[in-house]
Amino acid sequence: MDTSETYDIETPYPYIEESLNLDADTFETMWQLLSCIFDYWELAMPTSGAKSQLLVFMQNRMKINLNYYAEYKNAACVIHELNQKFGKHNGTIHLLTSPEAAIKPANTRLARARQMVSNEFITLALSIGGFKSFGAKNALGYINGGNVEGKAPYRIFSDHTDEDSKKDI
Amino acid sequence: MTSNNTPNDILIIGSGVAGAAIAQKILEQHPNAKITMLEAGGKMKMRDFALHQDYLVTGNMPYDYYHDFAYPNRDTAGENESLGKTMLPMQGSRLLMYGGSTVHWGGWSFRLKPEDFELKTRIAKTSQHLSGNYDLIDWPISYSDLEPFYCEAEHYIGVSGDSNDTTSPRSAAYPYPAFPYTLEDKPSIEAMQSLGIKYSHMPIARHGLTASESTHPPCQTTGTCKYCPFGARYAAANYLDDIQTFYDYPNFSIITNAAVESLIMTNKHKVSGVHYIDKNIDQHATQTLHADLVILAAGAIESSKILLRSQNDFWPKGLGNDKDLVGRNLITHPYLMFEAELPENPLGLIPEMDFPTMVSRHFDSPEEQSEGKYIIVNPPSSIGVKLAQEMQNGKPLNVIRDELTGKTKLQLHALVEIFSQRDNRLSNVSKRNHIGLQETAINFDQGPDFEVRIAQIQTEIDKIFTAMGAHNTKLKTISWRADHAACTTRMAHSSSEGVVDKNLKVFDVENLFICSNSSFSSLGAVNPTLTLTSLALRLAHHINENVLPNRQAEAGNNIAIHEAN
Ligand SMILES: Cc1cc2nc3c(=O)[nH]c(=O)nc-3n(C[C@H](O)[C@H](O)[C@H](O)COP(=O)(O)OP(=O)(O)OC[C@H]3O[C@@H](n4cnc5c(N)ncnc54)[C@H](O)[C@@H]3O)c2cc1C
Ligand code: SF4
Repeated sequence: MDTSETYDIETPYPYIEESLNLDADTFETMWQLLSCIFDYWELAMPTSGAKSQLLVFMQNRMKINLNYYAEYKNAACVIHELNQKFGKHNGTIHLLTSPEAAIKPANTRLARARQMVSNEFITLALSIGGFKSFGAKNALGYINGGNVEGKAPYRIFSDHTDEDSKKDI
Repeated sequence: MTSNNTPNDILIIGSGVAGAAIAQKILEQHPNAKITMLEAGGKMKMRDFALHQDYLVTGNMPYDYYHDFAYPNRDTAGENESLGKTMLPMQGSRLLMYGGSTVHWGGWSFRLKPEDFELKTRIAKTSQHLSGNYDLIDWPISYSDLEPFYCEAEHYIGVSGDSNDTTSPRSAAYPYPAFPYTLEDKPSIEAMQSLGIKYSHMPIARHGLTASESTHPPCQTTGTCKYCPFGARYAAANYLDDIQTFYDYPNFSIITNAAVESLIMTNKHKVSGVHYIDKNIDQHATQTLHADLVILAAGAIESSKILLRSQNDFWPKGLGNDKDLVGRNLITHPYLMFEAELPENPLGLIPEMDFPTMVSRHFDSPEEQSEGKYIIVNPPSSIGVKLAQEMQNGKPLNVIRDELTGKTKLQLHALVEIFSQRDNRLSNVSKRNHIGLQETAINFDQGPDFEVRIAQIQTEIDKIFTAMGAHNTKLKTISWRADHAACTTRMAHSSSEGVVDKNLKVFDVENLFICSNSSFSSLGAVNPTLTLTSLALRLAHHINENVLPNRQAEAGNNIAIHEAN
C-alpha cells in the first residue's frame, strides 16, 4: 500500500485518485446528445477526437463538482423518456429547443438536463470546432495554435496602409 | 506578539507583478539573498484544464473569492466605503492573492509617452480653461530614464507588439511580433483611415513562439484569457511558481495568508521590519519580521494604507505622511463604453479572440494633454451574435444565420486620463474584509471638467461610428472601477510634492521603497502595468547596483546579505 501523505496537496476540487467512471449507457446517451447538437445546428464536427474530448470534459466537470455525476445520469434518463415520447431524434431536439426546459430556476428534471448539461455541451461543441460552419476560423475556447507569420489562427484584416497610418504618431 | 528574529535582507510586501519582478531581478544577481515575500491572500491553482473548462462553460472565475465584495447596500453587508460624489467600485478591481491582480488582468502593455512625464509643465501653458482644482506634478524622471527598463519589462512580461510602431520611442524590438488585426477590426480601421485617425497594433502580454528554451508557452489563441490554461498571458503567480520550481534560490520564501499590519521604525529614518498576521499560525496574533530593506509592493491602495497605519512617535500621522500627502491625489481611468447600431454585418463577424488587436492612440497626444488624453480600443466582443447563447435559447439554424449577417450592435471603448485632485483620497476603515485586511474608504469626485470632456470624446466616437455606417451612438456605461488606482504615494522631486523620490524611496527614510501604481506621478491615458514593471525592474537595478553593495560595505560585510552561505 502506498503510504505517502497527500493531505497537503494543492487542489481546488476534491482529491479523488480513482478515475470517475460513468456507466456506458449514460456516456453513450451523452455522446448522442452532443452528436445531435452537431446535427441540429449543422455544426462542423471535428474529423477525430470529439468523443474523447467529450469524455475528458465530463470527467473534468465531475472533478470540479461531483453533482455532475447525477446531472449526467438525470440527463440520460430525461433523453430516454423524451425519445420514447417523441421518437429518437426528436426527443433530444425537444430538450434542446423546448421553452419549458429553459424556465429558471431549473427545478424540473427536464430543465436541469438542459441548463446543466445540454447548454454546456453546446459551448463545448462550438469550442471544439463547431463554430467553423459559421465562417469563422477561431472562437472562444478553441485551441487554434500560435501567432505564426502568414498563418494567423483567426480571420485577419490585412491593413495595406498600415505604414501610412502610423506616420507622425 | 511572536517574533521571528532571523533577519532578512529584503522583505517584499505583496506578490503581484511589482513584487515578483523585483524579487526575480535581485535574485538573479544575488542568488543567496534572504528575501521573504509576504502575501495577504492565499494561492489558487493556475494552468488547470478542469478550471479552464469550468470558466469556459460557466464564466465563473476560479479566483473570485479574492476579489473585494461590492460596497454595502440595504441588503448586503458588503465591504469598503464609498464616501465621495463619484463611486469608484472596488469589486473586481484587484485580486488579493498569490500573484496579485495580473492573475486576472487583460495584458494591454502600453508605454507612456514622453510628454506624460512633464504633465505639470506642459499643462501650465495651456489649461486656463479647466475649472477643477488640480494638484499636478511632473515626474522626477524622464521617458528616456525609463526607456531601457521599458524594453526589459516587455521581455520580462513577454509582450507581442509591433516593433516598427513609433507611438513611443523605443531602442529595442518587442520580444514577439504583433498579433495581426482581426477581421473584426476591419470596420473601425476603415473608418479611422477615412477620418485620418492613427491606429496601431495592440501591444499585448501574450508569449509568442520562440526558438529558445522558455518556461512560458506561447499563446494558443484559445480565448479564455481570464483563466489561461497554458500560462501564455503573464501572471505573476506563474512566474513565482517558476522561480521556486526551476531556480535554486535557497533563501527566497513566500508566506501566503500573511497580511502586513504596519511597519516598525528604529528611528525616524529607518524601518526595521513589519508587524503582520499569519493566518496559518493565528488569525489574530501579530508576528514580527525584521529586515534590512522593506519594499511595499502591495498595490496602490494597500501600500498607501500600510503607510497610514504605521503611526508612531517618529511619524505621528503615518509613515511618510508629515505633509499629509499619503492616500491623496487618488486617480484611476474612467473606462467609457460607446455603442452604436450597424444595419448589417455582411461578413458575419463574430468574436474570434479574447483580447483586442487594434488601438488608436491618436488622441493620446500632446495636443490633447490639457483636456485629458484618451485611447480608443476595438474590443474583441464588440460585434456579432453570441452563437452559444442563441443556440442555448433554442433558436433554429436559419434564424441564427440571418441574425449573424443582419443588424448588430457594436462598441468602441475609451480610456481617459484624468487629473489628481488633492481631496480625492483613500484611507483605512477599522472593519476588516474577508481576507483579513482593514477595509478602505474612498472619497472621490470626478471634478467639474469631466462631463465636458466626455461630450468631446463622444463627438469623436460618433464620427467613427458614422464612418462605419453605424448610427445611434450612445455612451453605454462609464466604469470608474479602481483597476488603475494610482498616485496616492506620488514620486516627486521633493517631499513637499510627493511621498517617494525618483528611486521610489520614501523621503526621509533610508530603507523603505514603494513600488506600485501609487508611486506614479500621473497616469497618462494608458493602462499602467508595463510602466509599473519598468519601475520595478529599475528599482531592482538600483538596489542591486547601489543599495546592497553600499549596505554591505557600511556593515563591514557583517550584514545579512547572505552571499557566502
Ligand atoms: C480586470 C482588470 C484588468 C486589467 N487589465 C490591465 C491591462 O490590460 N493592462 C494593464 O496595464 N493593467 C491592467 N490592469 C491593472 C493591473 O492589474 C495592475 O496595474 C497590476 O496588476 C498591479 O500590480 P501590483 O503588483 O502593483 O499589485 P497587485 O497585483 O494588486 O498585487 C499586490 C498584492 O499585494 C497583496 N497585499 C495587499 N495588501 C497586503 C498586506 N497588507 N500584506 C501583504 N500583502 C498584501 C495583495 O493581496 C496582492 O496580491 C487590470 C486590472 C483589472 C482589475
Ligand atoms: S488566447 Fe492566449 S492567453 Fe488567452 S487563454 Fe488562450 S493561450 Fe491563454
